Amino acid sequence: MRGHRDLQWASAGAVICAVVAVLVPWEIVRVIAAVPLTLFLPGYAVASVCFTPRELAPPKLWTLSVGVSLMLLALGALLLNVFPFGLTTLSWAVLLVLVVVACCRAAALRRGRPGQRRSLRLSWRPSSLGAGLVALAVVISIGALVLAQRPLPAGNAVGFTALWMLPATSQETGVVVGVLSSEQDPKAYILEVARAGKERPKTYRVSLDPGEEKTFEIPVSRRPGGRAHVVASLYLTSQPRRLYRRVSTWLPRQKTFPQSP
Amino acid sequence: MVSARITKKLESLPVLVLLAAVGLLLCSVANARSRATVSPSQALFWIGLLVIVVPVFFRLSSKAPSYRERLGLVLILGLALYGVKVVHDSIFFTFPDEFVHAFNAERIAEHHHLYYFNPALPVTPRYPGLEGATSALMMLTGMSSFGAGIILVGAARLTFIAALFFLFARVSGSARGAGLGVAIYTGSSNFLFWGAQFSYESLALPLLVVVLMAFVEGEAAAPERRRAWLVPTVLGILAITITHHVTSYAVAIIFIVLAILYRVLKVRRPNPWPLALLATVSALAWLLIAARSTVGYLWPVLKEAVEGVFKTAAGESAPRSLFHASATSAEAVGVTPTPARAVAILSVLLLALVAFPGLLQLWRRRRRDPFVLVLGVAAVVFFGALLLRFAPAAWETGNRAGEFLFIGLAFAGIYGAGQFLRGGPTLERRRLLLTAGLAVIFVGGAISGWPWDVQLARPLQVKAHGREIDSEPLALAEFASKRMSGSRFAAPEADARLLMTPGHQIAFGGQGPDIEDIVNNKKIAPWQLPVLRKNNLPYVIADRRRNSGDTLRGYYFDSPGQYGQELRPKIVVHKFARIPVGRVWDSGWIVLYDLKDRPRR
Repeated sequence: MRGHRDLQWASAGAVICAVVAVLVPWEIVRVIAAVPLTLFLPGYAVASVCFTPRELAPPKLWTLSVGVSLMLLALGALLLNVFPFGLTTLSWAVLLVLVVVACCRAAALRRGRPGQRRSLRLSWRPSSLGAGLVALAVVISIGALVLAQRPLPAGNAVGFTALWMLPATSQETGVVVGVLSSEQDPKAYILEVARAGKERPKTYRVSLDPGEEKTFEIPVSRRPGGRAHVVASLYLTSQPRRLYRRVSTWLPRQKTFPQSP
Repeated sequence: MVSARITKKLESLPVLVLLAAVGLLLCSVANARSRATVSPSQALFWIGLLVIVVPVFFRLSSKAPSYRERLGLVLILGLALYGVKVVHDSIFFTFPDEFVHAFNAERIAEHHHLYYFNPALPVTPRYPGLEGATSALMMLTGMSSFGAGIILVGAARLTFIAALFFLFARVSGSARGAGLGVAIYTGSSNFLFWGAQFSYESLALPLLVVVLMAFVEGEAAAPERRRAWLVPTVLGILAITITHHVTSYAVAIIFIVLAILYRVLKVRRPNPWPLALLATVSALAWLLIAARSTVGYLWPVLKEAVEGVFKTAAGESAPRSLFHASATSAEAVGVTPTPARAVAILSVLLLALVAFPGLLQLWRRRRRDPFVLVLGVAAVVFFGALLLRFAPAAWETGNRAGEFLFIGLAFAGIYGAGQFLRGGPTLERRRLLLTAGLAVIFVGGAISGWPWDVQLARPLQVKAHGREIDSEPLALAEFASKRMSGSRFAAPEADARLLMTPGHQIAFGGQGPDIEDIVNNKKIAPWQLPVLRKNNLPYVIADRRRNSGDTLRGYYFDSPGQYGQELRPKIVVHKFARIPVGRVWDSGWIVLYDLKDRPRR
């Protein structure tokens, strides 16, 4: 590939991008490396095999590079699926590097002696005012995306409280009861957990801010061979006599479907 | 002189880029206001869209821009309009099909192999092109399917726009025409939202356009250079085959028709029958070897569509009301305001106005060109497909077909617009008129392509007292993701989709098996528990919100004044307690039951 700078850069770029994507732990750095590796370089390498530098203008080359890269990703998944290791970070990285390097090598052989240089530059040179406007546009667009990602206060959204209960352990010797508030304002609750008809319920006073969750792990005693029916009930402190939420379980769980209603 | 200079500055590419960004920001603010449940922001949204498209349309109608500037303009247009979809849902995917494909992508990333079962749309894992490609980005970046999907579909969108421009430029021989053709294409009803979602067609359609572009470039190239263009053409056909069923059939049909026309018209260039053979054999082979379930998926849809057309034509069933999701009955959807309906209908009339003169010109001047004939036929069929929108069972088929047929329509429109912009003393006024017409076509397409009441984002995650709170079904999905890994659920469709992603569970909804009736009926019928047992679905979600079965509207916080807030009777939720079985989760409207948790009998 000596003398074909674009092919050298494409091959080296693919290797560097693959190494960064596989080894670096930071997502943003991996994104910067993986995007050209997946969405540009494979297509560029294939296009370089098919077309000599003079045969394809940069805009078409760029379009073809992204388009063919998308095609290769779709077909590459099919290829990797054949192998027992399948589609993994490493297998993708190796496959893409192999495609890029092999196609760049083939393109260099096809081009023969250096001399046909491929320019990837788009010949748009904006004035300083133009560059400033484009930079401002980029900032505004990023602002639009950031705004879209931010959860906002929504006073009219109707909040709710969830009560849930699951076995605490695989041995099912107790339960975990959770109260989750997705209310708009802080709320206070009374939580009662009872083994149905057997004991006095355990009572907890729970205050939750919006988005807060509290969990309670409660051991459940039961007769040998017997089963315990555990019921958790939630009341609003402001309306302590009105049942607000209820969950229940039988421990240990039956683990078979009912036959009929 | 001075005013001409100012006009030139205002039409310069950086100014148009800035305006597109401002338009995107306006759309984002409109969505943010909608998510914040403050006063309606629909007007701001449409103004934002117009700020994006109108300056670009106006500039594209000018003779002045160079080939590259026109390409830059259409790319800005495509990117900004894709941004409008991205700012609609920037936290999670919320379009119905996105949950399905995101689930597939996550299963591939988790299990490292393709074809894992999808409970919502079993045919989708058999076309793994999109998800396989997304998995590469997910694995190499560590991103979720949401982040990787947005980047991948964004790349596909840009490729689509650029390839469409090159295709139109090559076939029409005019860069100005190509720019206007792309501008007309943005008026396709599926362009703004449907075609930008994370779905297999959003990758397959751009690949189809790349294939067509490569084909026409190859046809225009010197004979010794034609072979080079075969590589992207063949790769594209194969990639489409494993990405999307309908697009693969469309590719096969296009090349078969081209092969026939080359023969009939005695075209001197090589007949593309090998490409027709490749497209047909690969689509059929994939259907028979890997994706047999496609027949069971597509056949009923097509059969119903054909039957629906005949029934509506014979007066046996009432025609569908336009601007409603499906049938004639009153539905829990937002009513499209009359002015918006008028704009949508006007846009169709304008499309006809721009396309028919173009078709006449094509017939007079280019009818010996097979590719032009194919595009012209697509344009004519588009207007035929519009009639399908009046048949309740066929409207969706007509709507989907429009995405392909619109390529031909936009091409015919190039000639109609070109005729309108022919030189003369009133050219500037006609440019303004054409720009206004294109804006109406664009807005009309956007109105008819997506229900009015969900054009803007709804609150899914909101802030209260400085902390984030989730909507009720999303909170359940997050709970399931955190505490019930790998469970199997029966749920109303919207709840089921959230449980699939971001909940990472196996969740069945809808009618195959008939979960819809199990979760919606007031009584448990004798057949229902066996169905749940047969499909091993111990967890059943009962949801009083009627819109929990609505895959467009069922994910969000309720807020006063919104559509679809009716409740089902209490018995629909409490019927399972009568079995009796355990209640795992109770959040008011939603209760999660565990059928395997019950007293011994």
